[in-house]
Amino acid sequence: MIIGIKDGMKLIGIFVMSFCAVFVCTLFLNYNMDFAGIKEQIAGPELMVLFDALLATGKVVSALAGGCLLLTSGIMLVFYIRNYIDTHKKELGILKALGYSNLRIAKDFQIFALSVFAGTALGFGGAFLMMPEFYRTQGKDGLLPEITPHFHPMLAVELIILPTVAFALLAVGYACIQLRRPAIDLLKERFSMPRKPFRGKAKEDTSADGIPFLKEVQSATLRSKKTLVFFVTFGSFCYSSMMQMSGSMDELASEMFACMVFMIGVLLSSITLLLAITTVVHGNTKTIAMMRVFGYTHEECKKAVLGGYRPWAYIGFVIGSIYQYAILKIMVSVVFRDWDNVPDYKFDVKACIIVLISFTILYELIMYCYAGKIKKVLLKEVMME
Amino acid sequence: MIKAENIKKSYGSRENRFSVLKGISLTIEDGDFIVILGASGSGKSTLLNIISGLEKADEGVIDFDGTKIESLSEEKLTEFRKKYVGFIFQQYYLLPNLNVDKNVKMGADLAGNKDYREMIQAVGLGEKLQKYPHELSGGEQQRVSVARALAKKPEILFLDEPTGALDEETGRQVLDYICELQKKYHFSICMVTHNSNIAEMAKKVVKMNSGRIVDTYTNEVQKSAYEIEW
Ligand SMILES: Nc1ncnc2c1ncn2[C@@H]1O[C@H](COP(=O)(O)OP(=O)(O)OP(=O)(O)O)[C@@H](O)[C@H]1O
Ligand SMILES: [Mg+2]
Repeated sequence: MIIGIKDGMKLIGIFVMSFCAVFVCTLFLNYNMDFAGIKEQIAGPELMVLFDALLATGKVVSALAGGCLLLTSGIMLVFYIRNYIDTHKKELGILKALGYSNLRIAKDFQIFALSVFAGTALGFGGAFLMMPEFYRTQGKDGLLPEITPHFHPMLAVELIILPTVAFALLAVGYACIQLRRPAIDLLKERFSMPRKPFRGKAKEDTSADGIPFLKEVQSATLRSKKTLVFFVTFGSFCYSSMMQMSGSMDELASEMFACMVFMIGVLLSSITLLLAITTVVHGNTKTIAMMRVFGYTHEECKKAVLGGYRPWAYIGFVIGSIYQYAILKIMVSVVFRDWDNVPDYKFDVKACIIVLISFTILYELIMYCYAGKIKKVLLKEVMME
Repeated sequence: MIKAENIKKSYGSRENRFSVLKGISLTIEDGDFIVILGASGSGKSTLLNIISGLEKADEGVIDFDGTKIESLSEEKLTEFRKKYVGFIFQQYYLLPNLNVDKNVKMGADLAGNKDYREMIQAVGLGEKLQKYPHELSGGEQQRVSVARALAKKPEILFLDEPTGALDEETGRQVLDYICELQKKYHFSICMVTHNSNIAEMAKKVVKMNSGRIVDTYTNEVQKSAYEIEW
């Protein structure tokens, strides 16, 4: 076995995401299932509206949270695998050269689904711990009959077993596709480079008289790992949208709900950002070490390797702001459409500014931590490997 | 001029402490061509890393034109390397996601060198500016790293087994480029190798054995890269 259980458990990002996704989905879906059972006890059309609204909220929230988070963990898994293959080219190349088949090697990648299993299982269990409290808040108006949580085995299968199996299959399948290269390519560490970045002489010449080397490295790091650009953008997108959403939720939905969105936002965004930036630093240790040898300062190395991601982070932030506004608008008009005194939802400028400031602090903090990591890159390590 | 005195270095923790350099003294004059010769594991690379300011010695003094390198802070040491030192390693260490032109630019930018393409021409790679390292042969990669090191106009060039991964033909070619460029730009050379034939190209030869200098001599005639045996 090439991939140890440790490697499989290292995917903290996927773990946290699947945890959050299943946690939220379990709460709402379990509630919905229990709740649907008391339909006959509902008396009067007004309560029926409330009943429908609660069910709809549950569905929307699970679909949004579960869908988005699971989709992202899927992308993240794909990214992890690619990264794993990239950083273990030599070992994998040797295995292939020795005659191991792609499928035989790829089969080991199913270990990566372990983190999904751990995340979903804990999320499911955690949701049951929270369940009584959640049921109480949902029915706190006392308008609807009280219900108690029940365990639905089907839900466990759907939320734990199904994702785990799906992710294991995804991992093996994707690894198989990625390994379908000649062993020699893996051994020689051929990088997958964009083949046609040069459009004639004109571009060559501009690069000669001007763009400083640091800028070149910046754009080269961005180009060589496009998925990371996505994750940085996505991380800040999550932060921006969820923080602002949780601010407005206070008024529109329950406090607990806002709190949950807040927690997921912080977790999801910091983990995505951390993951992306760790990968950037790891993938560029050689570059950093060589730049240090030649006499570039830590500050310059940091700028060269990490600087290019900043604009993307803020682009993510802007998209997030717009997205959360749109979502809440839709939610207010769809879910609560039959209600009388729902406050009209307006874009909250103050919240946006506060979130922006906190985001800037968070982002710079992460960058600061990684500057420390860059300082620790030792030439000796690179040369000894 | 670099003057190293009584350099000592050991690795490992208390019980299995291993002394790699056991008191080395060495002088490199301006414009010198020094070869440090010794068997594998004798501590050549360690010595090179220490006198070039990449690694700290446990004991000893390194004086570079009056600056005591061993007492410099990390920032000052970086500044020092930036100003004075060029490196060439056995493994080339080119930046994989940048093409030849930009790899050389990495050195050139540090010295504000705008004519760095000359250097690429000088190592015969004018046609391969847009190639990426993995598209080059070992010899070509090493020539890129020669151009990269010299594009920053160093006062002293440190080379650690520059031909270690190359065959005879390409090895000679790379060494020849380096010597030609030294004649033109007058930097000093400090080269580590275990190939005693290469030592015949040097002005001064320092022989090492298990952490000590066992012999130092000056060659009366310096042979060219094509005159030495391999
Ligand atoms: N970071 C380190 N930690 C522990 N031991 C080390 C370290 N670096 C070097 N050594 C040891 O120091 C000794 C000398 O190493 P060095 O790399 O200087 O040898 P060398 O003369 O350059 O050999 P070669 O010709 O094989 O490159 C070796 O025995 C090596 O194991
Ligand atoms: Mg060595």
